[in-house]
Amino acid sequence: MSAPRQTLQLQVNGAEAEVRVGLHDSLLTVLRDQLQLTAAKRGCNQGVCGACTVVRDGYTVRACLSLAHGCTHADIETLEGLNQEASMQALQKAFAAESAFQCGFCAPGMLISAHALLLHNPSPDADQVRAAMSGNLCRCTGYAPIVVAVLQAAAHLRAQELAP
Amino acid sequence: MNTATKQFDALPEGAVGQSVTQLESDEKLTGQAQYIADMYRPGMLHGALLQSPHAHALIEGYDLSAAQALPGVRAIVTGMDLEPAHRMGAFIKDEPAMALDKVRYCGEIVAAVAADTEAIARQAARLIKVFYQVLPAALDPASALQEGAPLVHENTDSYIKVFDAGTQGNLCSRTSMREGDLESAWAQCDVVVEQVYHTPGQAHVSLEPCGALAEIDAAGRITLWSANQSVFRVQANVCEALGLPMTKLRCLTPRIGAGFGNKMEAHVQPVVVLLAMKARKPVKLILSREEDFETVRARHPATIRMKTGARRDGTLIARETELLLDGGAYGDDSPGVLGYALLMNCGPYNIAHVHAHGRVAYTHKMRFGAFRGFGVPQVTFASEQQIDAIARELDMDAFAIRRLNMKRDGDRWLGGQSIFSNGLAQCLDAVEQGSGWKHRPAQADTKAANSESRTGMGLAISAHISGLLATGAIVRMLEDGTLLLNTGAVDIGQGSNTALAQMCAQALQVPMDRVAIASPDTDGSPYNWGTTASRVTYMTGRSVVAAAGEVEKQIKKYAGAMMECAPEDIELRQGGSVGIKGVAAASLSFAQVSGYAHWAAGGPIIGSNSWVFDQKTVDPKRAVVLGLPFANIGVFSFVAQVVEVEVDTLSGKVRVPRAWTAADVGRAINPAMVRGQIEGALVQGIGYALTEELVWDGPRLANPSLMDYKIPTMAEVPPSHDIYIVETQEPTGPYGAKSVGELGINAVAAAVANGIVEATGARLTQLPLSAERVYQALYPQDFA
Amino acid sequence: MLQGFFLPETVDQATALLAQDPEAKLMAGGATLVAMLNARVIEPAALISLSAIPEIQGISVLPDGRIRIGAFTRHRETAQCTLHLGAAAVLRHAASQIANATVRNMGTIGGSISFADPGLDYPPALVAAQAEVEIAGSGSRRMVAAHDFFQDWYLTALEPGEMVTAVVLPKPQAGAHGVYIKHARVAGDYATASVAACVSAQGQIRVTVGACGPVPIRDDDADALLSEDRSESALARAGALLQARADPLDDVRGSANYRRALIPRLLLRAVRQLALPVGALQ
Repeated sequence: MSAPRQTLQLQVNGAEAEVRVGLHDSLLTVLRDQLQLTAAKRGCNQGVCGACTVVRDGYTVRACLSLAHGCTHADIETLEGLNQEASMQALQKAFAAESAFQCGFCAPGMLISAHALLLHNPSPDADQVRAAMSGNLCRCTGYAPIVVAVLQAAAHLRAQELAP
Repeated sequence: MNTATKQFDALPEGAVGQSVTQLESDEKLTGQAQYIADMYRPGMLHGALLQSPHAHALIEGYDLSAAQALPGVRAIVTGMDLEPAHRMGAFIKDEPAMALDKVRYCGEIVAAVAADTEAIARQAARLIKVFYQVLPAALDPASALQEGAPLVHENTDSYIKVFDAGTQGNLCSRTSMREGDLESAWAQCDVVVEQVYHTPGQAHVSLEPCGALAEIDAAGRITLWSANQSVFRVQANVCEALGLPMTKLRCLTPRIGAGFGNKMEAHVQPVVVLLAMKARKPVKLILSREEDFETVRARHPATIRMKTGARRDGTLIARETELLLDGGAYGDDSPGVLGYALLMNCGPYNIAHVHAHGRVAYTHKMRFGAFRGFGVPQVTFASEQQIDAIARELDMDAFAIRRLNMKRDGDRWLGGQSIFSNGLAQCLDAVEQGSGWKHRPAQADTKAANSESRTGMGLAISAHISGLLATGAIVRMLEDGTLLLNTGAVDIGQGSNTALAQMCAQALQVPMDRVAIASPDTDGSPYNWGTTASRVTYMTGRSVVAAAGEVEKQIKKYAGAMMECAPEDIELRQGGSVGIKGVAAASLSFAQVSGYAHWAAGGPIIGSNSWVFDQKTVDPKRAVVLGLPFANIGVFSFVAQVVEVEVDTLSGKVRVPRAWTAADVGRAINPAMVRGQIEGALVQGIGYALTEELVWDGPRLANPSLMDYKIPTMAEVPPSHDIYIVETQEPTGPYGAKSVGELGINAVAAAVANGIVEATGARLTQLPLSAERVYQALYPQDFA
Repeated sequence: MLQGFFLPETVDQATALLAQDPEAKLMAGGATLVAMLNARVIEPAALISLSAIPEIQGISVLPDGRIRIGAFTRHRETAQCTLHLGAAAVLRHAASQIANATVRNMGTIGGSISFADPGLDYPPALVAAQAEVEIAGSGSRRMVAAHDFFQDWYLTALEPGEMVTAVVLPKPQAGAHGVYIKHARVAGDYATASVAACVSAQGQIRVTVGACGPVPIRDDDADALLSEDRSESALARAGALLQARADPLDDVRGSANYRRALIPRLLLRAVRQLALPVGALQ
């Protein structure tokens, strides 16, 4: 038995998005199926793998564990909305340079987590990167190149800040 | 022997040897890459499965009425929609598209629904009633092989088998390899170790769960996209399982979120095609993570009885290996895994007297199949521990015993195959030096008062092949002189598209941006067995280079005609042009030559190559072999690995702070990607070594979720991993390349186990080397 | 029967809704709830979100010096709380080891302890810290000691219609300290076994064992022993007393035998980390 669907207004990537959701629909379902924002992936639907990680009000959350109804007063950012941000571009460049991805399925979640880390801590060390991103699983790369890429992007962004 | 190789010793401008960024980099890093779950087709329906709750039961009937009555349900399929004779299977054709007449494991697909939304499809699936007569189940291999055990397949005689499998009752296949005279050899041994080892089922946990999307066109032809490692295996499996001619099915490939073997053979594709045929609309079905754990396949649980004998001076004389693999309910790749594990059981050593034999048992569990390493991680866990144990007993250094016995130039592999390039010596040197092995603290020094941990180093070496079966390549020069490469090889994230394009660009001396690589398509691509067995760089690479060679011939022929000279006087020049040797001014661009071919004479320039790996595995004058499922397997790559382990003496938990891996890959076509494979394989190997284990609670998988089945996180990764790429220039390999995909996982568990011995004195014979098992080995009195 | 999504703005509104429909589910951070929805373990017709109630947000110091942690406080905030917590620093340690950074941005202390999964990190920490749980029902408020709050597997002192509004920690003492030792298979996993240990300024020790039974385990005699004597033999005896009270499960994280065996080992690590010399009296 399913409750009637409701129309909600969400704030996604800086724009209003109107969606029709069931009571139990997760943010991940809404992003992927209604808004065609498919960068966030469904790897487990239990909040463990991290492939669905997005940003909510400046902090990372699991889209698969976020109720769509509970997101109406929140600012949601997905990878699609961050592609033009300097910090995200620095991360993407570093990921490419360091081969910090292979199949790419975990990459959007990794980039989101890294982006949020650098927002709150622009100078992490390797241990802090590992601790901040331990909630994003990867099966291909062995993680080491990801850590290098995040540190590299952080250094690049700090250098840019200092440049006139 | 196929001479389609080119040796380029030094090509500073060439693409080969460069760490070119993956071609799909931008789309993956901006989130635009389309994986199967991201795909939509107009009018698409969504599919969901019903799984069997029983390990073994007869299906007496179905009641679909409640499911059919649910609004939004468009089609339901069950075993009733299948012909019993239609079976698929890589070695033994024993597997239907879904359960038909009986279920053989908990989680097996029993029915599937296509509906307007996934939620409706799943709800409808739950409303399907299936009437079962539950039967006793055979849940472990040893008891399954006993007289009177419940049979998984009643009528194995009726199944097509592609080799001499010896299938009988619950014996799926049996294989044996024998060299020398084992029985008399034991008498020559001063030291003998014998032990039984147990390795668990390991789940692939590709981040992307399996899924498929099928669409029927107006002519009734089916287009099928799926998460796969081979469009040709998908095509063969679906057509065999549904009784379709292959011309009726076109298989395509979206971006793939890794495979490691999970996606090499069929998963839901036959069922999804069946749904699409019944609904007459496109159907997409994506497995949940739990369904992916339970329904698809995993690494074979194995029991390995191994016995090794050596002389006092450390020379290995004798080896007996008896392998029992849990094959699960369907054969899948099991006979191949068994045969390969036996072929590799000795490791890269000269042991004169060997008897390696084994069996795969059918059980009422999920099928077990291909997983990176393909049986070698299991036997290496045993073999490298035995080598280590012998060394300790003889008070010999771990490197010394390996150097004494390892394969050298001119040595042949078990069975008799020649080895043309062997970098083992360099690999051992690299990790011995890099790890500081000779200066590592003696055991006593690592035990500080009140210390809560002990450290130790462990060494293990291994090998892997690249080769197997068929591949092809087509290189077409387009009208503007650019090149289109089509190989049918699926890039599952490891970067084969990039590496193959590099080789094509190198062969024709053009920059990478003049080469495009087509997506695998059973309609347009030449056959490629699959992305498995670490074979694409070597096998498909050789085809690519050969096909490019054909293109070069045609370019020279037409250029000769255009410039009025013999083709032998034409040379390729960097950047996509040709000229007359010694005459710098005389040159034509590829575009000009292609224009000539298209519009004047000759026809479009197309180069193609196809071949099957052709080096015989067995020399019958040397080895007696029974039931080996592959006559020709591949060329050998080698690896040496040292790990430093740290054992927490309070809890038994093991971590690996440092690792050193040296791999002879022949030639690194793309060094960053080679390192990527080695890094990834180390971590997947650490998971296998320390935390990963599929656990059954009776007939049911107890931990089919990422909450309960734990793979390494970023926090478990060795903060320090030094990688040494050894290049021995394999003469038969494209630009000297061999393989790296599986090499890096084979030795990890053994190296960790050997490290634990050095740290604590405890040798463990069961994987994973979990904190609990290590604790129990350290403090057996706590479990008395 | 309620249907749909509700966003009350006060505790009284929330409990009134609960009183209307006891089948309605409260949603705090939502992580556990939505995971259960995704797995279809529950399918409630009504969800009451607690995200808009100011009274249950934030960490504050009460007039009498006790620390009040609102039920809706995220694990991240608890883990990063800069207030001097004294022995209740054990709570900071425990919060920082829950799952991973992203889940800590979502989960809340109220939601977590209401669920009362014995494998969680908060229960033993709260018991060791002598915390109290503030509970609200229709028109009523009460305080329950943490030790009495956790009653059994997934069972707490909450009556139907009640909700957790805050966790209250004792007034911090200078010189008091607390640690949380968690043994798990990998980072972010549920604990196989855990030990929370607090020491007062006077050297009184309280230890609590987690994930080894339906509720957190403590023993007055073990505490008394360790408060007097931290020698190896005292640790062994205290460990044995705690082991005797343990009732652990066999599951994929560990066998019951292993969990029991871990108790004295983790106890040793906890006491060492409290930075008291083993074998010497304060």
